[in-house]
Amino acid sequence: MIAFAGRSRHPESLASLSRGTSASLRDIASQAWWALKDNWLRSVLSVLGIAVGITAVMAVGTISKGGHYLVFSELETFGLKSVWVFRDRQDKDPHRAVRMGTGIDNDDYAVIRSGCCPAVKRVSPGIHDFGKRQIIRAGNRYSNASVEGVGSEYTIINNDTLVMGRSFRFEDEERRRPVAIIGPTPHADLFGAGQNPIGKEIRIGQQKYTVVGVLKAKSRGFLASIGSAGGQDANNRILIPYTLYQQQLGKKEINWLQAEAVSQDQADIAIAQISDTLKRRHGERFSYRGETMAQYIDTANRILQGVSLIGVVAASVSLLVGGLGIMNIMSTSVLERTREIGLRKAIGARRRDILLQFLAEAVFISTIGGVLGLLAGTLASYGLALATGFPLTPSMTMVAVALIVSIGVGVLSGYYPARRAAAMRPVAALRYE
Amino acid sequence: MIDLCGVSKSYRLGEVVLAVLKGVSLHIDAGEFVAIMGSSGSGKSTLLNVIGCLDTVDEGSYRLDDIAIESASEDELAALRNRRLGFVFQSFNLIPRINALRNVELPMIYHRVAPDERQRRAYAALKNVGLEDRAAHSPAKLSGGQQQRVAIARALINAPDIIIADEPTGSLDSASGHDIMYLFAQLHQQGKTIVMVTHENEIAAYAQRVIYLRDGVVEKDERR
Repeated sequence: MIAFAGRSRHPESLASLSRGTSASLRDIASQAWWALKDNWLRSVLSVLGIAVGITAVMAVGTISKGGHYLVFSELETFGLKSVWVFRDRQDKDPHRAVRMGTGIDNDDYAVIRSGCCPAVKRVSPGIHDFGKRQIIRAGNRYSNASVEGVGSEYTIINNDTLVMGRSFRFEDEERRRPVAIIGPTPHADLFGAGQNPIGKEIRIGQQKYTVVGVLKAKSRGFLASIGSAGGQDANNRILIPYTLYQQQLGKKEINWLQAEAVSQDQADIAIAQISDTLKRRHGERFSYRGETMAQYIDTANRILQGVSLIGVVAASVSLLVGGLGIMNIMSTSVLERTREIGLRKAIGARRRDILLQFLAEAVFISTIGGVLGLLAGTLASYGLALATGFPLTPSMTMVAVALIVSIGVGVLSGYYPARRAAAMRPVAALRYE
Repeated sequence: MIDLCGVSKSYRLGEVVLAVLKGVSLHIDAGEFVAIMGSSGSGKSTLLNVIGCLDTVDEGSYRLDDIAIESASEDELAALRNRRLGFVFQSFNLIPRINALRNVELPMIYHRVAPDERQRRAYAALKNVGLEDRAAHSPAKLSGGQQQRVAIARALINAPDIIIADEPTGSLDSASGHDIMYLFAQLHQQGKTIVMVTHENEIAAYAQRVIYLRDGVVEKDERR
């Protein structure tokens, strides 16, 4: 005869029956896992929905980070602490407005340079051709570079580095030496890109200059494309001592001063100190205006934030679609498995057990999708990092956000179907056809 | 053991209120093997669901030993079904995606039995119904009679004292049906209380007591 493992049982109280009778999380998880495996195609599709959403989130993060690097690497080519001071031509005062001149002269430069302004670390005059364009040539080769007369500290202020030769020295401006530093474009135009031009002669107008240095190429493509590069090509420049340029042009004035503030925060103070000094020295005959790199940095940050916001909205929409996908398949699954739910309740599953099982299925889908999205997003950002040279690998914060968001989407989208399953009455569920 | 006193139950079908049980009073002792018979619509399934703590009553009281079922909470009822009641259904209700052994284990996961112990006990239970070599088979690969035996192993796994069976042979050919009833007879001998709904006289003949239901009231209560 068959022996059943039946121990004799004494009637138990409800309290002792209820104690500890609910499934462990481990068992709930494995029940959920088997259910997902059983419907693997459906599971894979909804996993992909979430993976796409999380990839989008990662992409937004990487792209905004990349944009930040792009813009700042270009802004850096101006020197992040740079300020520019020049006469305010839109002066409302009719007496001042009619006066001729730039309002800045060599003595002003000497005073500011000698340390009148605590917020100013370095300063350089800036001279352009006053509309008298000079012909630039070396032998029979010509260049259309813009010529700037500058001070000896200009390259430091403007964050310019040299690939060949040397920068200006103070004696160059003091003694009006005929020396020139050329950008990569005039280097190619006048000598050929591979040639060493150091010590060679070029002519600007009637004046001969000896090339002493070659500037490194600067990338301002993005800023130029949004019209923020100051309207000129940073690579098509020739720098000469401002004193000699003044003499050649027959001028005694300086068009603008470019200075380096002691810090980015001090940029506005540096402008105020320079303007005040200039006003005082010219007996309030002119008024002045300044621009700081900080303004451009603010503008760039605002643009980047706007772009990121659009990206965040787009990524959220794709995550929402992924979440709705989970909600849809979980609702279908609950309906299809009504009898199973009834059976589980009949053999002792509580509301909580059923709720957690279906919630676990949704969270599995979204978490696996999240991990896949994370991998895809990371790969994409490495690709972009390789292509752009920016360090764009995802941060730990981004990884954490992606995982938390994907788990959250699973819980939110699984909760409603899971609750419906948990609330089913066992009799009705067992009778369901 | 099972005490029903003036139990009434009605369902609302749209506008119509359908009284299914109309004041059923019933006493079943521990160790009895009871068959409930009646035509369709007589309320026999509803009565079985009430006794199995799957359904609540509108009026009257139901006491299982000292426990007042009508005032127990949903979770308490779940615990009660898990520990004291074993269910056998006409359509077996095995979960198709997991094998026979896992199906038998199922009630134990809601009772927090350790996985090793669970497997050992489930295997022993399958052996008791003669299906130890089918442990790894999915339900679809088993015959109807085998599926019902797996379901019986599942019903017995938490060592309940009451077996609730709703037309357990309804989906089986008569030979398999008699095999299942042979198992029931053995369970009865071991002292299990069995309450079974059937509409076949030869199946009801295995029970020692047959309760006839008609229009929601007990028409006849026969002891043999």
